[in-house]
Amino acid sequence: MIVTYNWLKEFVDFEANPDELAALLTMLGLEVESMEKLGDGLDDVVVALVEEKRQHPNADKLSLCRVNNGTEVLDVVCGAQNFKQGDTVVLAQTGAILPGDFKIKRSKIRGEESCGMLCSDKELGLAEESAGIIVLTPGIAPLGTPVFTALGLKDTIFEIGLTPNRSDCLSLIGIARDIAAKLDIKINYPSISLVEGPEKTDAVIGVTIKDPELCPRYAARYISGCTISPSPQWLVKRLAAIGIRSINNVVDVTNLIMMELGQPLHAFDCLRLSGKRIVVRAAEEGETFTTLDNQQRTLTAADLVICDAERPVALAGVMGGLNSEIEASTTSILLESAFFKPAAIRKTAKRHGLHTESSHRFERGIDIDGVVRALDRAASLIVELAGGVLAEEAIDQYPGKIERTPITFRPEKANELIGIDLDRNVILDILSRLECQITQNNDGSAGVLPPSYRIDIEREIDLIEEIARLNGYDKIPATMPVARVVSDRPTRHQEIEKQLRNLLVNCGMTEVINFSFTAPDAAGKLLLSDSDPRRFAIKLANPLVDEQSVMKTTLLPGLLETTARNINFRSMDLKLFEIRRVYLPREGEDMPREPLCIVGAVTGSRDGDGWSRPNEPVDFFDVKGIVESLLDFLDVGGISWVTDNLDPYYHPGKSCRILAGRDCIGSVGELHPSVQKNFALEKPVFCFELDFEKLVKLSRTKKTIGAPSRFPDSSRDIAMLVPEELAAVKITDCIKAVKSKEVEQVQIFDVYRGKGVPDGFKSIAVRIRYRSIERTLAEEEIVALHKEIVTNLVDKLQVTLR
Amino acid sequence: MREQLEQLKSGALQAIAASSSVEALQDIRINLLGRKGELTALMKGLGTLDAAERPVVGQLVNSVRDEIESALVSALESAQQNVIAARLQTERIDTSLPGRRAQKGTKHPVSLVIEEICSIFAGLGFSVAEGPEIEHDWYNFEALNFPPEHPARDMQDTFFVENSLLLRTHTSPVQIRTMLKQKPPVRIIAPGTVYRCDSDATHSPMFHQIEGLMVDSKVTFGDLKGILTVFTNQLFGQKTGVRLRPSYFPFTEPSAEVDIACVICGGKGCRVCKNSGWLEILGAGMVDPEVYRHVQYDAENISGFAFGMGIERIAMLKYGISDMRLLFENDVRFLRQF
Ligand SMILES: [Zn+2]
Repeated sequence: MIVTYNWLKEFVDFEANPDELAALLTMLGLEVESMEKLGDGLDDVVVALVEEKRQHPNADKLSLCRVNNGTEVLDVVCGAQNFKQGDTVVLAQTGAILPGDFKIKRSKIRGEESCGMLCSDKELGLAEESAGIIVLTPGIAPLGTPVFTALGLKDTIFEIGLTPNRSDCLSLIGIARDIAAKLDIKINYPSISLVEGPEKTDAVIGVTIKDPELCPRYAARYISGCTISPSPQWLVKRLAAIGIRSINNVVDVTNLIMMELGQPLHAFDCLRLSGKRIVVRAAEEGETFTTLDNQQRTLTAADLVICDAERPVALAGVMGGLNSEIEASTTSILLESAFFKPAAIRKTAKRHGLHTESSHRFERGIDIDGVVRALDRAASLIVELAGGVLAEEAIDQYPGKIERTPITFRPEKANELIGIDLDRNVILDILSRLECQITQNNDGSAGVLPPSYRIDIEREIDLIEEIARLNGYDKIPATMPVARVVSDRPTRHQEIEKQLRNLLVNCGMTEVINFSFTAPDAAGKLLLSDSDPRRFAIKLANPLVDEQSVMKTTLLPGLLETTARNINFRSMDLKLFEIRRVYLPREGEDMPREPLCIVGAVTGSRDGDGWSRPNEPVDFFDVKGIVESLLDFLDVGGISWVTDNLDPYYHPGKSCRILAGRDCIGSVGELHPSVQKNFALEKPVFCFELDFEKLVKLSRTKKTIGAPSRFPDSSRDIAMLVPEELAAVKITDCIKAVKSKEVEQVQIFDVYRGKGVPDGFKSIAVRIRYRSIERTLAEEEIVALHKEIVTNLVDKLQVTLR
Repeated sequence: MREQLEQLKSGALQAIAASSSVEALQDIRINLLGRKGELTALMKGLGTLDAAERPVVGQLVNSVRDEIESALVSALESAQQNVIAARLQTERIDTSLPGRRAQKGTKHPVSLVIEEICSIFAGLGFSVAEGPEIEHDWYNFEALNFPPEHPARDMQDTFFVENSLLLRTHTSPVQIRTMLKQKPPVRIIAPGTVYRCDSDATHSPMFHQIEGLMVDSKVTFGDLKGILTVFTNQLFGQKTGVRLRPSYFPFTEPSAEVDIACVICGGKGCRVCKNSGWLEILGAGMVDPEVYRHVQYDAENISGFAFGMGIERIAMLKYGISDMRLLFENDVRFLRQF
């Protein structure tokens, strides 16, 4: 909603300057989103008199002027032709800065001194184009008066961001009313002086409401013998200030009154209304109609139309019809002022994609009691500007009249909820300043009837809000609640999520957050089979773009895209992770599952810095190490790494699934070369995926911590040749199978292929550390135990000792 | 014998004085005082002396040995000092070369801000609640007093799924889910991802919010002001000015927008605060009785407040980020700065 300072001031005589007014409005909940001060900083542009004008000696098209600014007479060179000696003009004096950051300086033009510039409308930002300089009415103001002041153009334009509940403030008067209530001063309602002719309105035109549910009130007036012409300057400028283009005197009045009082009005050319009748009815299904914007529209039975005796002439509350609009030749007018049901207008406007100033107000709700007042005010102004005769007595069909009942209001409840301590009288006074009618109930409460334009006030709580608002939010003391303790520890879920995030960050990983939606073919890039459940994503009905049209079933594609994008920016060494939800439809349930998943992607070099450590590429074991730390941290037991049933996006020889017992909790591995290609990744990428929900379930919370042994240790190494296919874990498992408490640690410390190792074999070296928790082990004990282990390895795994 | 001792002593002291290396001095010690050393040999000869002379010479031997020993100790000491001094003269590294460090990982700024806000509210006795992102119209709108066809629904451009499911447009449905599950007192915050059908420099189709809700027997609007003042002071600094001004949300009444004094210009007015000196950071208000009706709370005997804020906006203000899109581009050159 756009309002101007000067216009508001016509209704309320406040003292606040524009900045103070902006603060006041904002603190009333009428947020000033921007303000523009017209003529601000242009006080050096003044009214001046051309005392002398003669030809410039060195230029045909220029003249030399002696210009009086009220205090001195200055030499000014001017190129315009549309003025003469003795004219009152606009002088931009040296030092003035015109719109466009154009600074006026003393200068020499073709050898002649010039101390300023005579201005055109365009140069002052008052018009797009202008033919010459401004020539003012003689004596408009004393010489030297700033021209914006002289022309009454000094004003401030406020753009107010209205909340949807304040439909009453979609008008100048509404905003003025709030200012008046806040400042406790009187509001001057615009005057209405009706001069009616002898002819009775209802003798000329007829109004029938066929659907009182959608149109509870319809009022009309008839004006004959008027002349359509351009609007006077004051009206053109007033509308221009709030961004409305002038059309003609009649249409401009309807727009002006809509902005002033908030009541949308429509003027029909009465001669073009068949039968001079108005019928308000629901449209017929499929009925067509051309609106003022020259669009043919197909209507439905849910649209309300205004018709004459034969056909629709307006889409009620939204836009008039081309067939009855005011034209230059129009001489008689039917002026409509009505109330339409907000929800119906909203649906119609939405269905036709037609959002107008009129529909905006109707769909938020206008003042049903103000329908006739706005009609009369507009009619009197039309007669004033366009002449003609106003027929006697408005038609006012009001079949939907509802008696409103007062709201029971307890002032002490307001104090209690807001946390203030105002006197009952002060509270009730605030409500009467808001034009509420107040009565006293027997039980000590008050009966409050809010004004008809405040359709947002229906309940006691709405009145309490008004008390808080008018009294001022700044006057409410900040207190701490006196409340029962309800807090408990964060749930395990949230605690673990936070800890895992910390852990991954400590592993050098960077967290990313990708959008939850993705392209429909994202799963295809992962080579998922057609029956894979991750192919069945939840679709958005109204996506912004196709790439964001389905909800993710896996986080991996997004993370790989992020990896590729970073590599494009030459960030080659990446360790990225994401902890987010995926969205999985559930058979037989309308709500999908939204489990939290953890994914990671690692590529590039490990941690080489180039000078002290070599730049080695990362490999599978870097990523596995991260996963191991994570599982270790959560104390998930029974972990095994299996290479069967891998997802198709993994390299089959360099990946595995992670089992906890028999339950698959995730996977880790190198990306399949084809998938790598699908995501335009040049170098291998190593990924992991973990099911957060399962991790939370499997994580053991209770740990038993043992004291370390105080006795000496003894280590023995075993180097052996084993077939390439033998998994190293079999060796460590075989060693641990002796189940001796004295085997403290088993560590694979070398894996070697090459010289001395036959093809198809590898050499594995293991170090076993023996130690007892209760005594120093005797050499013989260690020898015996070690021998048992070696024998086991040879017998069970057929290893060859080296 | 005495003569021999004197000779040995002066010879030894000379040799010690002439030796500068630790090794030479140790050799001297072995040669004189070792098991097969000269002085040791002399001491063995003591046995051949008269019983009367023995203690006198014995004493002399001891004093010679002590003298040599102490000369050796101090010579060794200074020789070792010299060795250290020599090392310090020659050993040099270029300390300007980069250190060998573990790669730094970072949390996403959205996670950082959520964690920080949650921990502030944990200190104020709020616990964390969650809810689904694909939500029913009823929880997202209707129970929050957005009737169908209500103009307030225009405030939130909604992504629809199907069967009256939608992507939640705010974290407020968690209020409803929480109140349906538990009776007052309630004190929760609910961080989460939300969606609006809107995308430009200041809007992202996906973003994050934190919702707060407190319901108890006598909670006032002043309490809301108090809690939010403590919160903003902890988040943005003790002296941050806070302002509540009237606003409208269907599910709260009275409602407020909460502004803080601009953290960029300190309230003087700048581009970020549109010259107002204030920055809008959250919406809040007293829970509307209509909401209580939907969750079967008795609006007459309880009261409470709710508030909600956009995480991205707070992250942008805290870290001086000018374009929201940076938060979702996931460029590590950006993310590694946090
Ligand atoms: Zn600022």
